[in-house]
Amino acid sequence: MKRRYVAVGLATALAVAAATAAALTSEAAGKPAAAKITVWLHPEAKSWPGAVSAATKAAEAKHSGAQVDVQYVDWGANTLAKLDAALAAGNAPDVVEMGNSETIKYMAAGAFTRLNAGVYPNSKTWLKGLTASCQYNGKLYCVPYYAGARAVIYRTDMYRQAGIKGTPKTLAQFVADGQKLMKKFGKNKNFSAYYHPGKNWYVALSFVEDYGGQVAVRKGGKWRGTLNSPKAIRALTVLKSIVKKLSKASKTTDESHPYPATPMAQGLAASFIGNGWELPMVSDPKWGGAPKFDRLVRAYPMPSHIKGRYLPAFLGGSDLAIPVTSKNKAIARDWIKAFTTTAAERAIAKPGNIANTTKLAGIHKNNPKVAPFAEAAKYSWFIPTSPNWPKVESSLVLQNMMVKILTGRASVKSATTTASKAITSILNSNSS
Amino acid sequence: MTGRFPAAAVDAGAVAPPRRRRRALRDVAVGKLPAYALLIPAAVVIGAVLGYPIYYLVRQSFLHYGLHELIFHKGTWVGLDNYTTIFHDSEFWHVVGRTLLFTVVNVALTMALGTLVALLLAQLGSFMRLLLATGLVFVWATPVVVAVAVWQWMVDYQFGVLNWTLTKLHFGDFTNHDWFVNPWTGFAIITALVVWGAIPFVAITLYAGLTQVPRELLDAASSDGASTWRVFWDVTFPLLKPIFVILTSLSIIWDFQVFNQVWLMRGTQPEQDYYVMSIYAYIKSFRVNDYGLGSAIAVVMVATMFLVAFVYIRQMVRLGEVE
Repeated sequence: MKRRYVAVGLATALAVAAATAAALTSEAAGKPAAAKITVWLHPEAKSWPGAVSAATKAAEAKHSGAQVDVQYVDWGANTLAKLDAALAAGNAPDVVEMGNSETIKYMAAGAFTRLNAGVYPNSKTWLKGLTASCQYNGKLYCVPYYAGARAVIYRTDMYRQAGIKGTPKTLAQFVADGQKLMKKFGKNKNFSAYYHPGKNWYVALSFVEDYGGQVAVRKGGKWRGTLNSPKAIRALTVLKSIVKKLSKASKTTDESHPYPATPMAQGLAASFIGNGWELPMVSDPKWGGAPKFDRLVRAYPMPSHIKGRYLPAFLGGSDLAIPVTSKNKAIARDWIKAFTTTAAERAIAKPGNIANTTKLAGIHKNNPKVAPFAEAAKYSWFIPTSPNWPKVESSLVLQNMMVKILTGRASVKSATTTASKAITSILNSNSS
Repeated sequence: MTGRFPAAAVDAGAVAPPRRRRRALRDVAVGKLPAYALLIPAAVVIGAVLGYPIYYLVRQSFLHYGLHELIFHKGTWVGLDNYTTIFHDSEFWHVVGRTLLFTVVNVALTMALGTLVALLLAQLGSFMRLLLATGLVFVWATPVVVAVAVWQWMVDYQFGVLNWTLTKLHFGDFTNHDWFVNPWTGFAIITALVVWGAIPFVAITLYAGLTQVPRELLDAASSDGASTWRVFWDVTFPLLKPIFVILTSLSIIWDFQVFNQVWLMRGTQPEQDYYVMSIYAYIKSFRVNDYGLGSAIAVVMVATMFLVAFVYIRQMVRLGEVE
């Protein structure tokens, strides 16, 4: 009797163990048979589907039997957490697109395969800014994909109705024009002459740069957060007053919840600072836009408080990397090669991006929907090059600081002092 | 479910005599072994899905474990460093205080309102009771993600029905009022959402308990001149006390580790003012890639919960012993 019970229990336990083992081994055995690579791209790539499919075709043709699975993943911290989990589990994608301010953390952690620049098209003429975001200790770990700078996207019809001639050339004029717009359309309490979601730290730091401030400086091998310097405080005070006068956007949301293109199409925003690919969104019904805006929405570089200059734009961009966990690095390499040819980059640049090679500089000159973004990149800034920087972004230090400043929950001085302390401690931490 | 305990205990009492007789016939040890054997599969499963992760969590809390260590599966032993760091971190203590306050307020509101709804259910006619019970079950059945989306729309900054209604009712101008700027009103909304979602379980369980309270006791008390309030405190409450204890402990466990409601309500980017312990641990682990530190915070949480669970389990065991 007793023995039978024990036997039943043991058998059950063994069955569970065996099933688990079987599941593990079958998964492991399945991989090498089908040479399949996975590619993670951000959703903007849907605007150049030809380049994506051509790259896939080229890679599949070169490696017989190979399969390329392109998946679209969102930007941001949640996606990075997903990537980290995949890296830990050893099933990360074979090619991953990553923002140029995020790569450094992964290069420092040894997450990316070292690459040979000579293999890739146009590597001699790659944009310097992007190439720098792919180098760590002088070695290359990713391939520049494309860059972009933000500019003011605006409703020409609203500007005209408010009696504004031309586009502002100084920050003071930008504010004066904004006040004209508020006078004309401000009866609607949701109307913003300039739509500024509180957590948009890219724009906030552009103001800091414009007034001669910096996020952090490095001295004698130590980082120090400097957002509480007098220059930075002045810049953020200016931004606060502009937002108070001109923006009704929520002070606790960021620049993609909702995308400002949506309120703009609803007539609730006459302008916002955004990327080149956000301009066509205003006329795209998918984002609540209407086709008529195709001829009504244009862009201009955001003017600086100094006449004749632009507000320094965050030089955003994307790179393509091969995680060390990839089992099919040759296919991954050939896919990236095919995806960054001159022809592909031309297609990528078409919606308003800056191609990864200087060869294609100036191809936008005659396109009024695209040229201002390339123009805005003349004055640009980039994040401090510390492997810890992505932690500043993902722990939301800057976003929290801006929410506190713009909602008035803390003075500019106290909010920036708190943030600077946090930035100093994060940048100097020794964890990777 | 919990409401069935008294009945279940009675059943156990009814079958006890024959079992005792059987036990007398055989060796006690032999009788117990098969029972343990039958527990093995469940123990294996619990060990795999609960025991191993907890072991892993505790071990990791003693390691320096960053992104590099995550990818290459090797941490460096740092002893109690992670714990020293969090215990010296003033933000950690803020977060602990916030979490405790949040738990106390949410549990108190859940229990109070849940009890009131249960008493209402007992008083209602059958049609209204059915209506109310159906409503409760619907709330219960709503997945958290859906509930958060609905609530988010209601309190939306620009288009929310709450701002619109308050403005229309002349409570002031709530156009473009952002409830989350001030963490107190922000947490008030999150509390409303959490309590709203938790009331059905408490109400329905207590209602089941209420149906077990002998009518004669209540009638006798009121004919002796006791007020409704008195009857509740001196008759109903003592009878249902075990259920109250269990529901309160469960609510504490749930509300102490609330994550989804806060996380989703703040668009997965919670401001520092909204950090509760679960979120703080998540941010440290998965956003800042300091998995060792995140684990240490989680271990503190687990340890706290063990204390609460201890009360809960002791109560369950006592319940079994009473009859």
